[in-house]
Amino acid sequence: MAESIIKIEGLTKTFGSGATAVTALDNINLDIRQGEIFGIIGLSGAGKSTLVRCMNLLERPTEGKVIVDGMDLTALHEKELRQARQAIGMIFQSFNLLMQRTALDNICFPLELAGVSRKAARERARELLRIVGLEDKEKAYPAQLSGGQQQRVAIARALATNPKVLLCDEATSALDPTTTLSILELLKRLNRDLGVTVVVITHEMKVVEQICHRVVVIDNSRIQEIGTIEEVFRRPKTEAARKLVFPQTEHTVKFSGKGKFLRLAFNGNTTDRPIIAEMVLKCGAPVNIAFADTKVIDGRMVGHMILQMPEEPEIVRKMLSYLDSQNIIYVEER
Amino acid sequence: MNIVEMIPIIVKELWATIYMTLASTLASYILGIPLGLILVVTDSDGIHPNPAVNRVLGGIVNALRSVPFIILTVAVIPVTRFIVGTSIGSTATIVPLVIAATPYIARMVESSVKEVDRGVIEASLSMGASPLQVVLKVLLPEAKPSMIIGAAIATTTILGYSAMAGFVGGGGLGAIAINYGYYRNQTGIMIVMIILLVLIVQIIQEIGNIIARKTDKRIR
Repeated sequence: MAESIIKIEGLTKTFGSGATAVTALDNINLDIRQGEIFGIIGLSGAGKSTLVRCMNLLERPTEGKVIVDGMDLTALHEKELRQARQAIGMIFQSFNLLMQRTALDNICFPLELAGVSRKAARERARELLRIVGLEDKEKAYPAQLSGGQQQRVAIARALATNPKVLLCDEATSALDPTTTLSILELLKRLNRDLGVTVVVITHEMKVVEQICHRVVVIDNSRIQEIGTIEEVFRRPKTEAARKLVFPQTEHTVKFSGKGKFLRLAFNGNTTDRPIIAEMVLKCGAPVNIAFADTKVIDGRMVGHMILQMPEEPEIVRKMLSYLDSQNIIYVEER
Repeated sequence: MNIVEMIPIIVKELWATIYMTLASTLASYILGIPLGLILVVTDSDGIHPNPAVNRVLGGIVNALRSVPFIILTVAVIPVTRFIVGTSIGSTATIVPLVIAATPYIARMVESSVKEVDRGVIEASLSMGASPLQVVLKVLLPEAKPSMIIGAAIATTTILGYSAMAGFVGGGGLGAIAINYGYYRNQTGIMIVMIILLVLIVQIIQEIGNIIARKTDKRIR
């Protein structure tokens, strides 16, 4: 097992005081390993954004420790903390670029703060622009760039000081599906090539599924579940994880009949093969499609479907093992 | 005196007006920018909250802004005499102008700087920027276009104040309007003064808009 890079111990964050106090995070313990892509997923209001902002102390925890690369950030003085922050890159949902600076000068910004000479900073910034594929946009201002390009500049800026960790706070939530995919690919590549540990905060399952090695599900200010993508997505143990993997729709209908109902989730990992039809042919028994809400995004199927299964347990078993073999996630519908 | 005979006087006082306005604006900005920045930085949601400083400075700014300019001018005559040596003429008028305009400009600067996206400030803090670096490298450059628009408004307001000062012994176009247009009932002179003041305001405003548009990288 790789070494720990971010260790969170007994972290609690309360906003306000007295009777109006709100607990955003409640006794969080977490160990993020060097070099991994770690996902933090939860519905809005779950506390995940507060958690990531505690990782560089943009938000100071009410209780607990935040240890990054062996240093307890909560014990540092202002000046030491600023130094430590240079080793933690961060990108945001709204990019947060300096609007009056060019792409190149935006990337130079953290280097200026670190006291790097102007010439060396520009050289480094150009190299980073090449890495994120924007070498021709050096003189462009953020307003002249698309959302995806702005996020690339933000990533380059976050990486300028060679941080060990890159925190991504809903970094793809403002982007369209195609751009999201390309940004995720970039993060994956940077993780592989530079060895930077990536922490991804999101409410979108497909983001986590796309790039994360491990994921933690946050709900109600607490950690509900933690594990590999496989574990959490294929067999969600808690209600909170199930809610994320199988989002409830308004038109959930009461189904009647004898066979069990199964809710299938398509998270963009399946091809356009007729999976249900193949399952029916292979197992030699029909299923009833009781509800379906799927769409194809970039050639990948996303959405969910409710099947009424045959009554014979033997056939149901066969069907489930077929779904397993196709990497389809399912849960029994009650 | 008819208008043609008045021309040399008008030209002289036109320069006096421009001198008073520009000198006062400059001095007021030198004092108002730091004051406005302190108001933003020490605010409860600022980067270095300090309620005591914020409340005291905010109180002084509000108090000064509550006094009508013409009353302020008379009230600070001892101060003016102490600094300039006289309370009459263009240079003397600069003292009350600066006292009146500084709090006004501080508020303008404060409001421009507050427009800077919170997320951008947060991003710079996440990169390890100190409060001073945030002010110098983020707040001021990002707020610059808005501050230039504010400067045009502030300059025209100061121009208006300087004309008012003509009532109480200040120089400039306002003094001509009062002394000839009003006391000697020369309607023609009054109209010419009004037209000149309107023209100057238009020019300042237009220059401000052009510079702001040229420097703002958010559009284009």
